[in-house]
Amino acid sequence: MPLLRVSNIESYYGPVLAIKGVSLEIDEGAIITILGANGAGKTTILRTISGVLDPEKGTIEFMGQKINGLAPNRIVSLGISHVPEGREVFDDLTVRENLMMGAYLRNDRIGIREDLETMYGYFPILRQRTSQLAANMSGGEQQMLTIARALMSRPKLLLLDEPSLGLSPLLMQEIFQIIRRINTEQKTTILLVEQNARMALSLAHYGYVLETGRIVMADTCKALRENEDIKEFYLGVKEDSIRGARRWKRKKKWR
Amino acid sequence: MAVVEQISSPYPDHIDTIPKLFWHRVEQWGNQVAMREKEYGLWNEITWEHYGQRAKQVALALDSMGLAAGDVVTIMSENNPEWLYCDMGIQAAGGVSAGIYPTDSFQQAAYILSHCESKFHFVEDEEQLDKALEIRDGLPDLLKIIVLDMEGLRDFSDAMVMSFDALLEQGEETDRQNPDRFETLRRRAQPDDTALLIYTSGTTGPPKGAMISHRSPLMTGAINRQVWPMSSADEVLCFLPLCHIAERSVSALGPLHDGYVINFAESLETVPENIREISPTLFFAVPRFWEKFYSTLMLTLKESTRFEQLAFRWAMSVGHKVSDYKLNFQKPPALLRALFTLLDWTVLRNVKKGLGLDRARMCISGAAPISPDLLKWYHALNIDMREVYGQTESGGGTTMHRKGAVKFGTVGPPLPGMEVKIADDGEILIKGPLVFKGYLKDPEKTAETIRDDWLYTGDVGRMDEDGHLVITDRKKDIIITSGGKNITPSEIENQLKFSPYITDAVVVGDGRKYLTALIMIDDENIMKYAQDNRIPFTTYASLTKAPEVLALIEKEVEDVNKTVARVETIKKFHLIDILLTTDDEEITPTGKLKRTFVNKKFKDVIDSMY
Repeated sequence: MPLLRVSNIESYYGPVLAIKGVSLEIDEGAIITILGANGAGKTTILRTISGVLDPEKGTIEFMGQKINGLAPNRIVSLGISHVPEGREVFDDLTVRENLMMGAYLRNDRIGIREDLETMYGYFPILRQRTSQLAANMSGGEQQMLTIARALMSRPKLLLLDEPSLGLSPLLMQEIFQIIRRINTEQKTTILLVEQNARMALSLAHYGYVLETGRIVMADTCKALRENEDIKEFYLGVKEDSIRGARRWKRKKKWR
Repeated sequence: MAVVEQISSPYPDHIDTIPKLFWHRVEQWGNQVAMREKEYGLWNEITWEHYGQRAKQVALALDSMGLAAGDVVTIMSENNPEWLYCDMGIQAAGGVSAGIYPTDSFQQAAYILSHCESKFHFVEDEEQLDKALEIRDGLPDLLKIIVLDMEGLRDFSDAMVMSFDALLEQGEETDRQNPDRFETLRRRAQPDDTALLIYTSGTTGPPKGAMISHRSPLMTGAINRQVWPMSSADEVLCFLPLCHIAERSVSALGPLHDGYVINFAESLETVPENIREISPTLFFAVPRFWEKFYSTLMLTLKESTRFEQLAFRWAMSVGHKVSDYKLNFQKPPALLRALFTLLDWTVLRNVKKGLGLDRARMCISGAAPISPDLLKWYHALNIDMREVYGQTESGGGTTMHRKGAVKFGTVGPPLPGMEVKIADDGEILIKGPLVFKGYLKDPEKTAETIRDDWLYTGDVGRMDEDGHLVITDRKKDIIITSGGKNITPSEIENQLKFSPYITDAVVVGDGRKYLTALIMIDDENIMKYAQDNRIPFTTYASLTKAPEVLALIEKEVEDVNKTVARVETIKKFHLIDILLTTDDEEITPTGKLKRTFVNKKFKDVIDSMY
């Protein structure tokens, strides 16, 4: 049984049908990525899974239990944690308070303390800034904080929305390494939505390609990396034309 | 055999070539609108005068760069006004105009360019230019490549490449230096010279270049006047490839006779919206479009209110009754007619408006066989839908349904001036003024195709008692099962395609014990079905493998099986699991699955069904 099974979900933003029937499965312990251009519906999928949006149609099952329709806090307590796009930290709280907010639904003091230590282990910079206001941190530090905060609920499934957005290449590398470590060491299953396709495909095991609200490709990341369409449209690998410069794009085929 | 009506050109003797007719019209219709193109959301009008001016500039420029009479010039572009400027310009310079499908690969383009020894090659844009540059080393005859749209090529320069604007300027300059040149030039072509070279996609072997003289398109003017009279008030949407004889006849040649307005669709994808914007009075499409309209409408209906559904069903059942009378060439009873008129006004008109066909005086299906059921359905909708039968080699249309005499299951009687007879083995033979000159550089194939003035079509059929032609199938497509039964696959395929869930199908079974089918599903409709019935799927391929989808198609196949003889039933089928587009070799530019290609490509799958 997969850890998460999404079947035929359709979600609207107002009158706009943002995802038009998406089905996907995530096995326990895997890193899955969803690739797609701006507006393809990637974030909508994550928001629908975490309960921020209710799907118009379709079902979402987590560990065999139907979770669509549940309140987001119930979904968190079942073990799904969402790292939203855009480093949404609580500006007026300190780093430590931010992290404690992630453990809000827990009451095992010892466990929480242990996890706090683990987070400081993954992100040493957070230990140095522990009593600093989150608002006064750099973008990269804030991103680390949101990931750590999400992990503080000890999720089985972590939903990561564009963790590399706006980060320097070096910082991006660092964040991706930590994500990989969390996956191997904590056995946390990860659903990663990412613009940086190269990074995402090197990190994840399996990937889905989303175009205008529909999945057009699904395969192992190894196979996706070799795919002609992925190369041209997501990895920016282009065979140069005879003129040495090619601007036009061939038609996408997704096969 | 019926007496063949003699037909002659409707024009005075001095108008005996396409350029002569064209400039006659330019002078006559100067300020009238010839075509419209949508740009930045607005439909811009182009007058005949402008059309003529551009064509003149193209002709003069090509002449000044060394085009000789009879030289071939190629155009590789999507449909746009420039396509027509070039087409008319090339012919005015005494050249032969040949279109190449923009979806063709550079290898396919290379074959055609070198086969016809093209001197000048018009390309749409950067993408088509790249294909041309890739192959030009192997094309010693090619003098210039002209780019219609220079976007992204500002910094590019190459001695062999020039922009369309530069070409027009050069034409202008030539005119200034030698103002008399054009008058002699446009009279250069002779009626029997080749005007158009149309490459037919060979299902086996390389494409063949069919030569069409100036004479035959002029004749169609007289034919059209009798069979489908048009006027300058008529509107047509141009969206099928102009390289194909059908769209070429409708959008490039037809207006020369009747002056109707050509509207260029923005792209194939926007055709449904463009139809609604233009609301054409004549609409020509291939069966695939008619099938799509039908299935879209049927699915929309499922979402409408119960009352709307009932009203539509009632209107259609009355419509079917009316068409049954018409089918037997009888006038329906007055009461039924009155009821139908009422329902047409109240119910069907809205439906037709939704399709953009509310002003359509006539709709034509051609270039592939259409299911008689579908044809009947359109008539029940009170749309005057006719089928035309013909091929490139017969210069376009050969037979066509006439107004008020549409006999479903036939393709109508021969057009005026065209003679049709059935050979002993059932092959359809055609004689008449529209028949082509032969294949370029292929006397052998030409001699095989035209024998004693008769065109051997390769189609098999019969004439019914009313003189309407019934097409059975392509001669070489007829399946002979291992049991020795002759089966015509296209009949079964057409019935399958009538299902809203099936886009196309290829029936297989030659030399086999039973019939099987390769089926291409309608992705939109099947996805909708999957969503409505909570069938999880990810990609197109996974959709074709979902057990529920297989069950759905099985039911559709079963429904067809019930209507055919036992030997004609489909025992097994396979859903093609890749989404094929017109860029693929398996599909013709008009959207049909190519039987030979499909048979070859899916050989393993086919073998596994036996």
